[in-house]
Amino acid sequence: MNTNRRWMARAGATFFALALLYPLTALFARIGGWQWSDNVRGPGVSSMRVSLLLTGCAMLIILAIGTPMAAYIAHCRTRERLLWQAVLLIPILLPPLALGILLSLAFGPYGAVGAWLERFGIVMTNSAPAFVCTQVYVGMGYYVLGAVAAFDAVPLALQKQAALLGLTPGKVFLRVTLPLSRLGLAVALSIAWVRTFGEFGAVVVTAYYPSGMPVQLWVDLQSFGLPAVMPLLVVFLVVALPLPWLVHVLAQRRSLA
Amino acid sequence: MLKAHIIKKRREMTVDVSLELASGDALGLFGGSGAGKTTVLACIAGIEEPDDGFVQLDDLRLFPPSLPLHQRPLGYLTQDANLFPHLTVSENVRFGVAEHNEWIETLREHLRLGPLWSAPASRISGGQARRVSLARMLARKPPLVLLDEPFAGLDRQSVRELIDDLVLWRQTLGFSMIAVDHQAEVLQRLCPRGAIVLEGGRVVQQGAWSDLYTAPATPLLRSLLSPI
Repeated sequence: MNTNRRWMARAGATFFALALLYPLTALFARIGGWQWSDNVRGPGVSSMRVSLLLTGCAMLIILAIGTPMAAYIAHCRTRERLLWQAVLLIPILLPPLALGILLSLAFGPYGAVGAWLERFGIVMTNSAPAFVCTQVYVGMGYYVLGAVAAFDAVPLALQKQAALLGLTPGKVFLRVTLPLSRLGLAVALSIAWVRTFGEFGAVVVTAYYPSGMPVQLWVDLQSFGLPAVMPLLVVFLVVALPLPWLVHVLAQRRSLA
Repeated sequence: MLKAHIIKKRREMTVDVSLELASGDALGLFGGSGAGKTTVLACIAGIEEPDDGFVQLDDLRLFPPSLPLHQRPLGYLTQDANLFPHLTVSENVRFGVAEHNEWIETLREHLRLGPLWSAPASRISGGQARRVSLARMLARKPPLVLLDEPFAGLDRQSVRELIDDLVLWRQTLGFSMIAVDHQAEVLQRLCPRGAIVLEGGRVVQQGAWSDLYTAPATPLLRSLLSPI
């Protein structure tokens, strides 16, 4: 690519980025002074803790269940694989509000699983378990579908070669498949993180309490108006962005190494 | 002793080949492109599963039922070195063995891997990668070695060195070997006693190289053995 073309491409990319970030100019809209008083800051900080901690728990669950599931799907024949992929697409496809309603009914006190869990003192409405459970449903499909693609990218010949060198299937997975797909897995996890961290529609139905950041934004908007929303929005970006961005930085460094 | 009868249906033909290989012996599989040589080798290695037939290595039944790859006592070298790109050269060589031992040191020295030892496997040349791949396979001292055109795409000097290495190590370790190549001169060096010739998935001739040269069974074989 010659210099002129490179600059034209860069100008196009800059325009694209500006268009994508354009909504953020609303942070400077004339809505009066931002409100960050105690009654906004206290719940805001609390919601940040809830979002970070419970989304972290949800990510661990997604990682622990989703990774072996993705490994299994990656080795399935086409017809079976299509079936599993359709299953994974369903929670992604559902409008978040509808997913929240379904989860609320299925895991609520009148649902079979919800009633059973209540016998052990686990309440699946407006509780931390409800929050985590909802986020797992929201993020699982994104992670597993991404992880399947990551596993697919590992050459089968390398895995077979490792087996011929005496490694059991489990060791082949740990020593060859997993290391060679880790960047794809990390990207899949970062997408799942972004999606679940910002989830509002499903969580607002199943776990209005404990309020995560998206729900708290809604509460602030209802209670105090736009001036109370803006600071929390900035905090949200600062808190949510580093992890997925770090993954991309690592991916970049890896490809340049 | 390896005994095998491989039947494998392909879209364009059915591969149907029987072969026997005495312990410590070397056998060439010769033929043009698409003759079924790689299929036979892949079925013995377990990379592909035959549709019918059997593969028996001494007292060990490799097929049927299909023995898992990690339980097969064999080494398999292909056109692609198939090194693990996330590991260094030394980690690749030691991949299939429990610990670094004297034998690994011997391989490192004789296969001229010293200068590459700490290099990432993704950063070495094609010829070097084949040497590493050979060392990795020999590190486990397999009783049976399968070679599927492992010198394709290399310059003559590299091919000569690799063949010398293989011949030397076969004499030293005494492993049995089946080699596939479409270059007769390469196969003759590796398997001087003779070869099986395949065409269209069938054996059309087998015997000593002198017989193949003096009385080729088919026009294609005559063409394959004649100078360009």
